[in-house]
Amino acid sequence: MKLSFELNGIEHYLDVEPGEPLLSLLRRLGMKSVKEGCGTGDCGACTVLLDGRAVRSCLMVAPQVQGKRVMTLDGLGTVNDPHPLQEAFLECGAVQCGFCTPGMILVAYELLTRTSDPTPDDVRNAIAGNLCRCTGYVKIVDAVLRAAEWKREGRWR
Amino acid sequence: MRLTGIRRFHFARDAEEALSLLAAYDGGAALLAGGVDLLRSPRGDIEGVIDITRIGLSYVRESRGGLAIGATTTLTEILASAAAPAYAGGLLASALSQVAAPPLRNMATLGGALVSAHPWADIPTVLVALGAEVRWQGEKVGKAPVEELYGTAFRGLFRRAVALEVVLPPWEGAFAHEKISRTRYDIALLNACCGLGLDGEEIRWARVAVGARPNRGERLPWAEEALIGRKPGGELWNEVQRLVESRVEVGDDRRAGAAWRRRTAGVLVRRALARAAQRGET
Ligand SMILES: Cc1cc2nc3c(=O)[nH]c(=O)nc-3n(C[C@H](O)[C@H](O)[C@H](O)COP(=O)(O)OP(=O)(O)OC[C@H]3O[C@@H](n4cnc5c(N)ncnc54)[C@H](O)[C@@H]3O)c2cc1C
Ligand code: FES
Ligand code: FES
Repeated sequence: MKLSFELNGIEHYLDVEPGEPLLSLLRRLGMKSVKEGCGTGDCGACTVLLDGRAVRSCLMVAPQVQGKRVMTLDGLGTVNDPHPLQEAFLECGAVQCGFCTPGMILVAYELLTRTSDPTPDDVRNAIAGNLCRCTGYVKIVDAVLRAAEWKREGRWR
Repeated sequence: MRLTGIRRFHFARDAEEALSLLAAYDGGAALLAGGVDLLRSPRGDIEGVIDITRIGLSYVRESRGGLAIGATTTLTEILASAAAPAYAGGLLASALSQVAAPPLRNMATLGGALVSAHPWADIPTVLVALGAEVRWQGEKVGKAPVEELYGTAFRGLFRRAVALEVVLPPWEGAFAHEKISRTRYDIALLNACCGLGLDGEEIRWARVAVGARPNRGERLPWAEEALIGRKPGGELWNEVQRLVESRVEVGDDRRAGAAWRRRTAGVLVRRALARAAQRGET
């Protein structure tokens, strides 16, 4: 079936199978930051933003995004031009194997679009559904708080 | 995603179209709201998926002192609504923010939670405690208290009907929800939702429901009776805690044992009563 949606700021018009998971479509379109961990909504590795809200792309089929805006980590920043939130993750040592990182950054991004002054508990609540097997979470919380500080200082774009 | 047999996807324009599509598939289609449950389900009989999120059922309205919430309203939309925070002493704000995590709350709808009605879920316990009513459209338009519906084969009903709206009645007083889980993201090992209305020094009405026992949330009428007409306070909460421990029906599952659930049910009810009373004062 025909599908049109915006992916990282670019309009896409394509044919999809009605039952194709959004996760597979995004990876097929080259968005390899979107990971499949569990495939059942539990781990958060497949998180993307849909009209600015974090969702699980493994629990959606492609047609559900008809007419909507999807953002993956690829749309936030690049290796050469990282977003301050990505820089904060690097600076705070919040990335180890990196498998959870795209999802973590996107849920943190959603949080920081709503508040620039989150408490550590707000951050823990925001990332509660995103599992990390490496870091122990402390440095991830530190990174989000650091990024929030930079946002308050006007260092976000 | 485990639902792998999808051949066709439809955006329904209204409830009538959703119903006629359901009828045309003769059991081979399902309504899709947030999809959090449906797309996880390993059902092999679903060929058609009918998206009902664009049929105007996403809203939270004040209604005769209570709330009317459209079935496809997401948990996040309820939390962000202007009307929900003040309702029942802030119950929805505290209970719904303990459901799963933000990305799932951004997807999951109230109607989907009501229809899925997982025995471990918090939302059915809250709806039963509040005396919520659901309105639906099937062959005919229908409505029933959620508590009554859960005593029937309601899943069969919603394979042929669209839940339209959940109506939460007005309560003069406050409710509180308690959930105990292994982590803040995990599902409940046990949950309790209690409400109290005070008349000066006396409890005028009381609602007590316990869920994830591991069975679905149910009211404990004998605990409610033990509260009515009594003076609120620590002594009464302790008495009701002991009563719940002695009478609540609980069982074992792989998550927790019956003995632990029995003891903990009393504790959760005591805490919820104390918190509801405190909220009612402010
Ligand atoms: C990882 C995870 C954690 C969770 N944690 C919690 C928790 O802590 N507490 C809690 O209470 N719940 C929890 N849940 C359950 C969650 O609240 C429900 O799964 C969710 O609300 C279902 O809503 P949905 O819109 O996604 O339903 P869908 O998946 O879209 O639908 C579910 C079922 O209901 C039917 N349906 C949907 N809408 C309608 C309608 N309007 N009329 C008729 N039929 C309809 C569908 O056909 C389907 O059969 C959790 C779920 C997951 C996956
Ligand atoms: S892959 Fe989607 S939540 Fe785990
Ligand atoms: S960095 Fe490895 S899973 Fe989080």
